[in-house]
Amino acid sequence: MAKPNRNLRNFCIIAHIDHGKSTIADRIMELTGQVSKRDMEEQLLDSMDIERERGITIKLAPVRMYYTALDGQEYEFNLIDTPGHVDFTYEVSRSLAACEGALLVVDATQGVEAQTLANVYLALENDLEIIPVINKIDLQSARIDEAKQEIEDVIGLDCEGCPCVSAKEGTNIRDILEAVVKQIPPPEGDTEAPLKALIFDSYYDNYKGVILFVRLKDGTVKVGDKIKAALSDKTYEVTEVGAFAPFLQPKESLQAGEVGYIAASIKSIEDVAVGDTVIFADKPETPPLPGYKKVQPVVFCGIYPLDGSKFLDLKEAILKLKLNDASLVFEPDNSVALGFGFRCGFLGLLHMEIIQERIEREFNLDIITTAPSVSYLVHKTDGTSFYVDNPSHLPSPSDIDYMEEPIVKAEIYSPPDYLGSIMDLCQDKRGVFKDMTYLDARRVKLEYRLPLNEIVYDFFDELKSRTRGYASFDYEIAGYERSKLVRMDILLNGEICDALSIIVHEDRAYPRGRTLCENLKDAIPRQLFEIPVQAAIGGKIIARETVKAVRKDVLAKCYGGDITRKKKLLEKQKEGKKRMRQIGTVQVPSEVFMQILKTNKD
Amino acid sequence: MAGIYLHIPFCKHKCTYCDFTSFPDRLSFAEAYMACLYKEIELRGKQLESYTFDTVYFGGGTPSVIDPKYIYGAMKQIKKCFHLAKNPEITIEMNPGTVSEQKIALYKKAGIDRFSVGLQTAIDEQLKNLGRIHTARDFVYTCGLLKGENFSADVMLGLKGQTKEDVFKTIELASRCGAKHISMYALTPEDGTPIYTDYLNGELPDGDEVRELYDYGYSLLKERGYHRYEVSNFAKKGFESRHNLNYWQRGEYIGLGISASSFICGKRFSNTFDLDEYIKCVLSGFLPVVESENVEKEDAKFEFVMLALRTVYGISAHKYAESFGSDWKSDFADAYQKTRMYFEEDGDVTRIKDEYLYVQNQILTEYMNG
Repeated sequence: MAKPNRNLRNFCIIAHIDHGKSTIADRIMELTGQVSKRDMEEQLLDSMDIERERGITIKLAPVRMYYTALDGQEYEFNLIDTPGHVDFTYEVSRSLAACEGALLVVDATQGVEAQTLANVYLALENDLEIIPVINKIDLQSARIDEAKQEIEDVIGLDCEGCPCVSAKEGTNIRDILEAVVKQIPPPEGDTEAPLKALIFDSYYDNYKGVILFVRLKDGTVKVGDKIKAALSDKTYEVTEVGAFAPFLQPKESLQAGEVGYIAASIKSIEDVAVGDTVIFADKPETPPLPGYKKVQPVVFCGIYPLDGSKFLDLKEAILKLKLNDASLVFEPDNSVALGFGFRCGFLGLLHMEIIQERIEREFNLDIITTAPSVSYLVHKTDGTSFYVDNPSHLPSPSDIDYMEEPIVKAEIYSPPDYLGSIMDLCQDKRGVFKDMTYLDARRVKLEYRLPLNEIVYDFFDELKSRTRGYASFDYEIAGYERSKLVRMDILLNGEICDALSIIVHEDRAYPRGRTLCENLKDAIPRQLFEIPVQAAIGGKIIARETVKAVRKDVLAKCYGGDITRKKKLLEKQKEGKKRMRQIGTVQVPSEVFMQILKTNKD
Repeated sequence: MAGIYLHIPFCKHKCTYCDFTSFPDRLSFAEAYMACLYKEIELRGKQLESYTFDTVYFGGGTPSVIDPKYIYGAMKQIKKCFHLAKNPEITIEMNPGTVSEQKIALYKKAGIDRFSVGLQTAIDEQLKNLGRIHTARDFVYTCGLLKGENFSADVMLGLKGQTKEDVFKTIELASRCGAKHISMYALTPEDGTPIYTDYLNGELPDGDEVRELYDYGYSLLKERGYHRYEVSNFAKKGFESRHNLNYWQRGEYIGLGISASSFICGKRFSNTFDLDEYIKCVLSGFLPVVESENVEKEDAKFEFVMLALRTVYGISAHKYAESFGSDWKSDFADAYQKTRMYFEEDGDVTRIKDEYLYVQNQILTEYMNG
């Protein structure tokens, strides 16, 4: 048995959004000489445009570094950046499985946040060594001792002598590296045993095929080896192995304990699943590593191509995204109003937004997305029961005995000043108060049970605006509860538009219907005829607005010099029409399908 | 049919809605500019020897602001360099603040037989807002000088604070003063003009209000014997503008002078918008053309439909067939199916129903490619 490299350290960073995780990663890379300061692009690991723009990490990104420690020895580090948002817990659990340790970054001005906790517990479950790091000590409002105390109280980690740094100014970064060397153990494993490598991510490269991101638990892999995924029958010949530097850097072999990538001309992205284990093709009996806990999507929406003929492009885009975001689930769907598309499931609202944006940007596709929905448990009068997340698949009311909806246990953290308005909001959203705890003089924790369908509606936005952004919010699914739910349909010019149907609580139906009709009235452009916009429950109209017919749409003057101008003007108008879908007789802009989300008129 | 347009880019004061090429207070350039215009007429004349033109139109700017001898000179040059048909229609635009008996006498001597007078509104306060240099009285005076002549009055809709009453007063004034033709336009606030600010601040009537004023104006005009023959143009029988009808029938025209547009020999093109460039170019013996576009057949078909539907004469199937050798309803089969409920058919002719004439862009976009 041959032990892996004793000077190897695999670790990740856990932090709440905005606590400075990516900046710390940047500083560590700078200090290890991985990238020169001059070449540094801010947030080097966040390579997606959306990540840079929003200042968040969505995808885990690995990088290898070399560090000469104060003991004079050189160490090899593999750092795996992780997302902070609760929606991306799945991504985090994937990176944790590839590490022996984790840095827990806490903002000295904010303390421990609800969303961080979930990831910390995940790390503890994975037996990772956790090193607390207090960041942003340069800020006036930094409360270093309080932050340490909070970590000790809430998580139970010893903060004695933990690194206190300012990633922004580059202060004390070396303390982090020394802590990594001293506290995080080198990987276990046997470099001579049969190959066992956990696939923790992958993406498709047009030249090399699928690139597998792996953590070798046992064995050694090199170019020419015949490999297979444990849960699939196809075998491949390795064409390239290497490390993340942070860009792909080929090397001769990868050994147990190391993090790196494998390319093997894998053409189909469906054949090698993230969470599966790479083994040698001639040792199919090798037991696979434990994979990942399957995650259940909680938010659903329909995604359709704006241009109906682009369905296959959309399919390809979703398949490719699935390859590097295993948490995305989807199935083909067909809407009367929107044609062929997909019903997709997401881990949360942010996850949904990110996927929509990636489809539009990375694949240059215009899409229509329907309002998010949750999965309801329907009990029919004939005794059968099943889950429904698409409002248009709901059986007729006479066939439904009763329905259940998902409930979440929500924790809201806020300064006490906003208690009143938060409680009002939760009341509004059918919330049931459970508990309230003062964490300290400035922070209060509220616990509520809330229906998930109220949260996917506009809870986040409302909470933010009512607390001027001070409140943070975390939730977990707490099961299903019986509820009085109905399907509300929207009729445009007398015809039901199935893509606009929603499932609502009976008591909420009237105000929702009214607001919805008002919003739709404003969002649908005036056309040559009057368009009634109606909300209906089971054939009974409960709200109505009217889009008046357009009265003036003409170029007043059209003489010699105006003819070219007029053509251009009409072309522009035509372009605008292309962003619309014809629903029956009505032209509907693609944004309308998300109007359902808005509570108030702008 | 073919027309000649001459652009006179001078005025006393720029109106707040004007985005035409015009230089206020630079009348001293007129001599040089007109010399160049004569030269351009000569250059074009040689090129278009085979053409016969039956309308001439002096537009601006304010053609009546410059010494009338230049207009006389331009007409002389046109007659020398182009073939004019018998009984051509020759129009000049006039601002009521710039006319005199002598001017009109010389115009008539030049062969001008149609006058287009910019009234815009009979409400003096609104005239002031528009930056017009005249009053309603000046208009009355002008009409007095034009007694017995074929003249048209421009009327504007959608002015700040404009009421139906104001529209009534304006149309009543134009009609009583003897206008044979009235153009009733909705004000179009163009980006870059002073009035655009009013528009951005929501101070101008919105589309619905303009439509109200338009429908009201339309009924007043009808009562007074002016029939609508195009979206914004109304005339007593036989006094329709031949020059403008030519545009809507996709007839050819040559534009002369700075910024003038042309459509001739299958091409649409425009002269330069820059005065220096215009002068230099023409003096060196070159045509001052800057933008030129070949109109392909598909595009031409669309133009035909787009222009014909502006008029009450509509699309004539046989005229379309004469031009393109095909049936327009088959060429635009899908669009026609989608929009036929907005049309009325009259034998060979298809026209937009009255109530949809003012929302025709909605219909026309269906006829565009792509």
